[in-house]
Amino acid sequence: MDTVADQTERLGKLEGMGCSRKRREDPRFIQGKGNYVDDIKMPGMLFGVMVRSPYAHARIKKIDTSKAKAHPGVYAVLTAEDLKPLKLHWMPTLAGDVQAVLADEKVSFQNQEVAFVVAEDRYVAADAAELVEVEYEPLPVVIDPFKALAPDAPVIRDDLQGKDTGSHGARKHHNHIFNWEVGDRDKTERVFADAEVTVKQDMLYPRVHPCPLETCGCVASFDKIRGDLTVYITSQAPHVVRTVVGLLSTIPESKIRIISPDIGGGFGNKVGVYPGYVAAIVASIVLGRPVKWIESRQENLTTTAFARDYHMTGELAADKDGRIKALRVKVIADHGAFDACADPTKYPAGLFHVCTGSYDIPNAFVSVDGVYTNKFPGGVAYRCSFRVTEAVYLVERMIDTLALKLGIDRAEIRKRNFIRKDQFPYATPLGLEYDSGDYAPALDKVLAAMDYQGLLAEQAKKRADPDSPTLMGIGICTFTEIVGAGPSKNCDILGIGMFDSCEIRVHPDGSAIARMGTITQGQGHQTTYAQIIATETGIPASMIHTEEGDTATAPYGLGTYGSRSTPVAGAAVANASRKIREKARQIAAHLLEVAPDDLEFDLDQFRVKGVPGKAKSMKEIAWAAYNNVPPGMEHGLEAVDYYDPPNFTFPFGAYMCVLDIDRHTGETQVRRFYALDDCGTRINPMIIEGQIHGGLTEGFAVAMGQQMPYDDEGNVMGSTLMDYFVPTSMETPKWETDFTVTPSPHHPIGAKGVAESPHVGSIPCFTSAVVDAFSHLGVTHMNMPHSSYRVWQQCQALGIAN
Amino acid sequence: MKVELEKSHALAVPADIAWRVLQNIESVASCMPGATITERVDDANYKGTVTVRVGPATVSFKGDIEVKDIDANKRELRLVGKGSDTSGQSGASMDLLAWVQEGDAAHCQLVGRSEVTVTGKVANFGGRMMGTVSDQILKQFFDNFSALVAASAAQQGGVAAAEETVVRPAHELNALSLFWAIVKDFFRKLFSPNKAG
Repeated sequence: MDTVADQTERLGKLEGMGCSRKRREDPRFIQGKGNYVDDIKMPGMLFGVMVRSPYAHARIKKIDTSKAKAHPGVYAVLTAEDLKPLKLHWMPTLAGDVQAVLADEKVSFQNQEVAFVVAEDRYVAADAAELVEVEYEPLPVVIDPFKALAPDAPVIRDDLQGKDTGSHGARKHHNHIFNWEVGDRDKTERVFADAEVTVKQDMLYPRVHPCPLETCGCVASFDKIRGDLTVYITSQAPHVVRTVVGLLSTIPESKIRIISPDIGGGFGNKVGVYPGYVAAIVASIVLGRPVKWIESRQENLTTTAFARDYHMTGELAADKDGRIKALRVKVIADHGAFDACADPTKYPAGLFHVCTGSYDIPNAFVSVDGVYTNKFPGGVAYRCSFRVTEAVYLVERMIDTLALKLGIDRAEIRKRNFIRKDQFPYATPLGLEYDSGDYAPALDKVLAAMDYQGLLAEQAKKRADPDSPTLMGIGICTFTEIVGAGPSKNCDILGIGMFDSCEIRVHPDGSAIARMGTITQGQGHQTTYAQIIATETGIPASMIHTEEGDTATAPYGLGTYGSRSTPVAGAAVANASRKIREKARQIAAHLLEVAPDDLEFDLDQFRVKGVPGKAKSMKEIAWAAYNNVPPGMEHGLEAVDYYDPPNFTFPFGAYMCVLDIDRHTGETQVRRFYALDDCGTRINPMIIEGQIHGGLTEGFAVAMGQQMPYDDEGNVMGSTLMDYFVPTSMETPKWETDFTVTPSPHHPIGAKGVAESPHVGSIPCFTSAVVDAFSHLGVTHMNMPHSSYRVWQQCQALGIAN
Repeated sequence: MKVELEKSHALAVPADIAWRVLQNIESVASCMPGATITERVDDANYKGTVTVRVGPATVSFKGDIEVKDIDANKRELRLVGKGSDTSGQSGASMDLLAWVQEGDAAHCQLVGRSEVTVTGKVANFGGRMMGTVSDQILKQFFDNFSALVAASAAQQGGVAAAEETVVRPAHELNALSLFWAIVKDFFRKLFSPNKAG
């Protein structure tokens, strides 16, 4: 009988959406049984090591590889000259630029790839790499993107000389990449001219690096007899890699197999195609043996995909009550020596135009200029959607600045400008359509949980006390993210629409295998995708095997970055499940001898409406699918879905941070950090919690310590973990999390994506708190990172430290 | 990574003797810990090596030294050196102006002003220590140079003869003594009342 206890038991067995199912990935990880690229060992495998340039900008006069080639155990030493006949010395980037695989006559950033040494093991290869003699003629170095645009600035890209158009339009200068403008310039100008109040703030979002635990690498294996190529690779987008490798090598994609095994964190660092991959593939094709290439930590931090490096100027026009009338933004985007961003083709500044934030700003205009400098390429989205962290930082800093100027409370000014719930779907002045949101209740919940008024009173008391050894800062951030790229009418990479996919096969015993075009790197896809399928089909999650990352088996998808797995592939999973459910309904109707419409789906079975006990379970239906289907129906129970999202999704949140700064040492202690996230429908609360902790911790890292500085000679000064801040549990604050649920109206299950929002939202929250600690002393903005040293410098400048 | 250094050192010899020693590039180089002139191309051009050892890392630079200018009136010498380490992972260049300042009849002052630029691994790993390491190298240089000048004055037999009487400096900077000198310096600065440097 259908008792409540029975229902509960079936629901429990199903482990569908909404339950905190334990991560299926963890048993192998915590037992050291993960299978990462560096775990791959193949018979006869050789190892490649890169020879890199110590100079940031230099002409290569001569490369002598004879000593390295003569070194025992060395199989090959490749230089640009060796790749030229194959036309592989340059490769296309995902941003429509080209990048040297091995330096062609000159180097344009420190540690640029110059030669590739292949030897019997990694140690021999490293020794031989030191024997490659390269003669350089140093050239003037330009690190500052503003200086790079000076008329007489050194030419960074000789290969582009004379080309006044790039893939994103006109180039104004030999170091200029593109200009991208969005919004109504004239109208915005007019509003600014007539505004009661305006504020303006310059800010630098420093160059940082995602620094995943596992560095990048690959094992390339070309079978000369069969003519096929297998590459194990640390990639967040294996199918895209297959297409790029196909384009480069002219091997048909049907003969290329790209496998992303377990990935030790990506955070945007593993989206691109890097010279090391290409060099290993070429070496394997040339030598007919598998070739492994694995980055060292220093190589990872200084050559593959930085993030940010945005020099931004924001301006707001408002009335005296703090109601914003217009936003104007100018960005100089430092892209390094090659434009290797991984943005959708149409958007050279990614989705930066989400920079109107959670606010109803009627007019806006944004102008972004991309610039070449002698730094390593990248510009990836580090735990965020394309350039969204930069955008959210800008608008959150600006609204704080406006509040300060007008003397309005920072929570209050946000409430005055929030997009109201009844305005959704909301069209922004920069061309986006927000799907859903309910901002004010989220902020109110946080203010109440933190006793905001109490905190303000405590702060006022501290500020009044000249002997207080600490400064107290309260940070607020109410952000809106844009994820789930994206609708193919707007989003493509290399011409391929940014859909994603899922294929599900139900076996005769009622278990199932599901494959997606995405690839998990810590997000827990194996766990959560199975929960979606369980709820949608009634097959218990424990009976579903999910598999990703092998292009030989998985349907084509654009991969995992920009929080697109749940919004895009997650929708494909739901839709494919529903296709299966519909076929299951037909089969159940056939078995029960009723019309399909007489059936209703109930957790894990179809039952006849109004007739208790007359039902067929999914297990029975699965068996029937292989031996007793309705006349005219094909056997089997499987479905494929390619999901092209109608729109992006817009998760949001309200964060508050309280911190105390020792005014004599600059040491900053985060007292409390409260994060309320709304990611729409919640699939697995435990995984969401974990993802939020991770995002907040990486946000803390960026705000409080990470940067990849350069000296004037182009030396990277953050190239080791001695210099580059990666927080451990010792430094990381305790996180308090909360949520509201505002489902996405256009997503099959209403889910929006979550793992990156906490990174996007926490960073401006930290800056807001640090600046707030000094705001009564006249400080309106401080650039990140807010390391003790830099905060101490601020105390010194104000004369409050001794 | 650029370090600018200006140091001066008192010598207990007349200016002329010091100037004579200073013009002999090979001798001057031999006072530099870890440095050797390997080839004299002509009067103005030399090839040489410098080996610096910090902890477990040894960096051996190979490069060219060019005498840009010798001004006998001012007793001033300008040297430019450029090189890269033998494993190709670092580069370095130096622009040195050295002159002898006249004191009284028996004393003078050797002044050096140099700009050292390093790129690559040395800058990445050792950037923070560059100033201190350079300081220590220069201290040893001045000690060696003083000894050489003193011997030269005593012998009156020319620089070559003087060189034989002074203990030849080690061809690699002694890692342990360098390390201690840096540590000592660090603590001295830490506890010095004016917190200079």
